[in-house]
Amino acid sequence: MMLGLHLNPYKNCDFFEFFSVLSTRVLGLITGQIGLADLVSDEIQLLVLLGLCFSSAFLGVFLVLKRMTMMANAICHTILLGIVLAVLVLSPFFNFQASSNSILSMKILLMSSLCTALLTTFLMEFFKQTVKVQEDASIGIVFTFLFAVGVVLVTLFTKNIHIGTEAIMGNIDALDVDDLQIVLFVSLMNFSFFTVFYKRFTSVTFDPLFSSSIGISVSFYNYMIMVLTSATCIAAFRAVGVLLVLMFFVAPPLMSRMLTNNLRSIICLSFILPAIGSFITISLSRHFLTVYQVPISTSGLLVTVFFVMYLLLLLLSPKNGLFTNFLAKSLPIKVID
Amino acid sequence: MSFDLISFFTDPVLRAPTLGSIFMCISSSLVGVLVFLRKRSLLGEALSHTSYPGVALAVSTFAAFFSPSSDGFVFAILFFAFLSSVLGLLCIDFLKKRFRVYDDAALTFVLSSFFGIGVLLASRLQTTHAVWYKQVQTFLYGQAATMRDVHIFIYLALFIFILLAVLILYKNIQMLIFDQNYMRSLGVQVRYTEMLFVFLTCLAVVVGIRSVGVVMMAGMLIAPALTARCIAKSLKQMFLFAALFGGVSGFLGNYLSVSVPELFPGTRFVLPTGPMILIIASVLCFAFLIFSPPNGLLWKKLSRKKIKSKILLDETLKFIYSRPGKLASIFQIKEELSISFLRAYFILWILFTKRFLMLKNGSCCLTKRGSKKAIDIFKCHRLWGLYLIDFENDCRYSSLYDLTPELLKDLQEFEHVKYNHGEK
Repeated sequence: MMLGLHLNPYKNCDFFEFFSVLSTRVLGLITGQIGLADLVSDEIQLLVLLGLCFSSAFLGVFLVLKRMTMMANAICHTILLGIVLAVLVLSPFFNFQASSNSILSMKILLMSSLCTALLTTFLMEFFKQTVKVQEDASIGIVFTFLFAVGVVLVTLFTKNIHIGTEAIMGNIDALDVDDLQIVLFVSLMNFSFFTVFYKRFTSVTFDPLFSSSIGISVSFYNYMIMVLTSATCIAAFRAVGVLLVLMFFVAPPLMSRMLTNNLRSIICLSFILPAIGSFITISLSRHFLTVYQVPISTSGLLVTVFFVMYLLLLLLSPKNGLFTNFLAKSLPIKVID
Repeated sequence: MSFDLISFFTDPVLRAPTLGSIFMCISSSLVGVLVFLRKRSLLGEALSHTSYPGVALAVSTFAAFFSPSSDGFVFAILFFAFLSSVLGLLCIDFLKKRFRVYDDAALTFVLSSFFGIGVLLASRLQTTHAVWYKQVQTFLYGQAATMRDVHIFIYLALFIFILLAVLILYKNIQMLIFDQNYMRSLGVQVRYTEMLFVFLTCLAVVVGIRSVGVVMMAGMLIAPALTARCIAKSLKQMFLFAALFGGVSGFLGNYLSVSVPELFPGTRFVLPTGPMILIIASVLCFAFLIFSPPNGLLWKKLSRKKIKSKILLDETLKFIYSRPGKLASIFQIKEELSISFLRAYFILWILFTKRFLMLKNGSCCLTKRGSKKAIDIFKCHRLWGLYLIDFENDCRYSSLYDLTPELLKDLQEFEHVKYNHGEK
């Protein structure tokens, strides 16, 4: 750290060296030799991903159990419109440049995400219940329409599709310490909501009839989940992009379902497994850069790592894995349990 | 430079995007009807995302052999996209059947993981082959403007293929959608038809991603089918209307994205074609859902109001007829029907203009016309009761006001026969 010029200590690290450097850096952070301002991009990325894992651990489990993942998919798409509108509302007041996202302050983004979530959910409910369209069709038409409006607005007002592509794909290399703030805020928000209302969320999820009979409004909690989803999307869109954040919601619960059936353990595992995945992803992307000189999309890599982890679990899970079942069948000794 | 409508089909630059989009929209809306009626609309969303890694793979492997502008390249991209969307489909089925993953979770997991792999493959090209990378990117939101004549022929061929498949297998499709048990009893393999149906969906998605884009393809499948659902009375009509609406939105989307920027010369005002097509299709859909005659939201509300006021009018006439001297004051009517004063006044005003009522000593009195009308209403109500009692399994008419004059006549004869039979 000479003269404030931060040299990235991970430069030219391969997969294993990354972890040794990381552990010394963490030690340094704990002992106070390295301040928060000295964090380099790899560490920021890692922290952002861990924060996302933490927020989506609760959210994803309930989304999957409530079978609302397609609604989450819809929110992930329409959040683009929210981002665009936030930029458009801001642009008269600030000197907006298409290239810099720094003026997208946290408050405005969160507000816009709230609005889009409510708008999307309201429209979907409206078409489903008032116009009597089937649920899947109403989801499909609403989110594609809002997304198309978002894309048209992006191209109209920024003259290029760059922001759109970045919002879709994510640009993890452009993260800075400010992004940590919003991720921290959103994960705290998720954590507090789900711990405070844990009982209610479980009852709404597993027995909606019972919960409405004792006076818990199911649709209120649905709206709440949608709002939290959109806030998480906002936190994630700069890191992994609005489309790939869906993987954060769906993959962890599916992975942990392969290992356990207990709700609390599923939530815990939904944080631990993707956290491991994030460590692997960041070090792998560094590895590719060092060894093959190929910069690849970290968000794409992250999704691929999650995909491979799930495949491994499908093969090897002790409960119902393909390979485990095969072994159990072909072994001559039957284990009685 | 200005364009008239015909030049969109003849101009060498404009005709490829226009015709290509129209063929693509028609084929996707034909398949969309199937997907919609099978209640698997979101399958299209998953399949379009899963075709993205195929595009990325095709571009990164074949761009070295073919020049990006050659015709073989177009085929390669289509073929690989098709393969990868079929692979995605197999993954979804496998997860659902073998591991009992919820339907929606399996769809979203496969779509986001395949899309992520596509992003990964594409990012490999980003720094080394920027041109190829751009080509992969165009499939995200679609780019109709750069289509060439070869696209017209490919899409025409695929469109004809889909059309023929729908026409030849129309009976099977009908059975698949409405009655699978009947299909089994006839000995037709449900599984093969189902596979064919999914195969057609993959094909339509792959045709569509070039002009509408991976992300918005699902809407193109749903919107025309949903629009057609509002006005179609049979499956045949639904296919026809869906194709019509698909074609119209394909053309209008192209037309607007070319002609609107012409209105603002000098500015670099760009409207992307793919999203425009989708916006047109969904605005059409929303308009039909709300305004279309038999099933639209507003129409239904209006017709309900109409029936309500008709019932009130009838009840008022009946009430006045039953009073001594066929006389009633507005207060009595208000009390009897428990409606507001204003409403009672309004109803009486309508009856006055129809000359069913006249004023007599400050209260309302039925005219001759009015008494005749009231008697008709009593008769009609009695016959409706008869219909409900004696034809309880007939469900063609759900309300008193659906009865036609012919039916009333028949009912009257029936009543006559029924109640005079005992006397003879």
